[in-house]
Amino acid sequence: MKSNSRIKDPGIILTIVLVFVSLFVLIWWPTDIYLMGISLAGWLMFSTYIIWFLLAAIYVLWIEKKDENNE
Amino acid sequence: MQVLETVILAIYLIGMTIIGIYFTKRAHSSEDHYWTAGRSINSYVGAFALFAALASSSSLMGAVGSGVALGIPFLFAYGFGAVAILPFTMFLVSGQIRRSGVATLPEFFKQRFGNSVQVVSVFIVVVGMTFYMVPQMTASGLIGSYVLGIEYKTAVIVLGLGCTLYAALGGMWAITYTDLIQGALILIGMFVLAALVLFEHGGLSALVQDALAAAPHFGDVTQPWLSYFGLFLAFLWFGIVSPSAVMRNFASRDARTARRSAMWACLLYLLVFVFGFVVAAGGASLGILDTLENRDMIFVSVIEHYMSPVLAGIMFAGLLAAIMSSADAMLLAISAGVARDIYKEYINKEASEKTVTRIGFVVMIVASIIGILIAINPPQLIAIMVGWVGGFLLSSFGFPLVLGIWWKRANKQGALAGMLGGAIMFLILVITEPFALVSEPIIAAPVSLLLTIVVSLATSPPSEEIQSRVESYHRDQKAV
Repeated sequence: MKSNSRIKDPGIILTIVLVFVSLFVLIWWPTDIYLMGISLAGWLMFSTYIIWFLLAAIYVLWIEKKDENNE
Repeated sequence: MQVLETVILAIYLIGMTIIGIYFTKRAHSSEDHYWTAGRSINSYVGAFALFAALASSSSLMGAVGSGVALGIPFLFAYGFGAVAILPFTMFLVSGQIRRSGVATLPEFFKQRFGNSVQVVSVFIVVVGMTFYMVPQMTASGLIGSYVLGIEYKTAVIVLGLGCTLYAALGGMWAITYTDLIQGALILIGMFVLAALVLFEHGGLSALVQDALAAAPHFGDVTQPWLSYFGLFLAFLWFGIVSPSAVMRNFASRDARTARRSAMWACLLYLLVFVFGFVVAAGGASLGILDTLENRDMIFVSVIEHYMSPVLAGIMFAGLLAAIMSSADAMLLAISAGVARDIYKEYINKEASEKTVTRIGFVVMIVASIIGILIAINPPQLIAIMVGWVGGFLLSSFGFPLVLGIWWKRANKQGALAGMLGGAIMFLILVITEPFALVSEPIIAAPVSLLLTIVVSLATSPPSEEIQSRVESYHRDQKAV
């Protein structure tokens, strides 16, 4: 991989996605809205769990595909 | 004394020790086997090992305890950072560090920045990991004192030394294979406990209503925003800056196995936090928080309330398993730091593998004794102590490591300034307490980032050789 293409690295791209999702939760921070008696800010953090796993799966498949293409 | 629970615990601990002894001969056959299990662990064993190393006593007792005491959003914030640990580590460092061919974090710092940075990093690893033993020892003491009916202090000493014994005897082989069992126990135990809680309350919605009836602030964000943000940051970075977790990565057969292990371990960790939510709601519904001497004991109360003695015994074994596997991984990081990175590097270059392994053994014993001594009078809640360790390592290692991998211009002076500046700033903030709990890395980590960049730019760039090595971290695996 050349240094000038580092911004296109799957790891960097998915890190940017992770940062955006985190920022969305932490900036919106809806503490006064409640669902089932629990603050929506809490539910938003809870829902990120599945997003983090999906990002991990996307990364693994992406890199494996990249490896296959390089072979 | 809870007799049945004690018997199950005893059988478990003896079983684990036998596994440790069984792998001793294999482990001591060479240094590489001792530290990284000969790099031959497959992706399923690797996933459980990674998961068990991450699912520490804090993930279970601390998260549940803080979720009940400080409101369930606090537990959600825990998982918000913690479930992202492995993906975040994969995205930014794990493939690159593997490609660099080093076995420990300080070794990477030496390869990239030179000897002085390595020495400082070993010092930080040893301090951080030794302190990280404290919450593990605290949790084992709490469980042990309840089950065995002995004094907390005695429980900390007995369980702490028992755990050290098999880690020291077997190295990574023993740790990895006992982790497989421990990882499974944690997961199944949490699943069964969550199912029992849900069954007793008649579903999730009724359970949450019961929890809110007994603890009206259960669903609230009770702490300042900075605390949630700080906790998120400290856990998010934990895989990158924690030497124990990073070392696990090298025990996999190849890069593909390492990535798959991390992905599946992420799913296991996600499940533990989902089950943890149910368990915390069950704990809140008991309405006994104010009667407990130590809020971290709420998890033990939930087990006692919802489970039969046999299941409770297995669950306590699972909890101790989580504690032991985390403590073992820390002990291994400490002993690797001192025996390999300091003794063999700087004191006796000619030392035989046997001598290095033996020194590692002694260092493990000394570190665990220090951990035990501090844990006899723990300074804070488990969750907060773990948050401190994550914050300290992030503030000192995080940016020098990531910039070392991704930015060729980062140099020795910048890394030293970033590491020391971040660590010192973190300690000042912990001691002076100007902000909300566990929010220290929000200030200290950017200070480290700024120092690494500014000092690197103000001094001469690294040699051509080092710059081309940074390029090689990013070349495809096949080309290396």
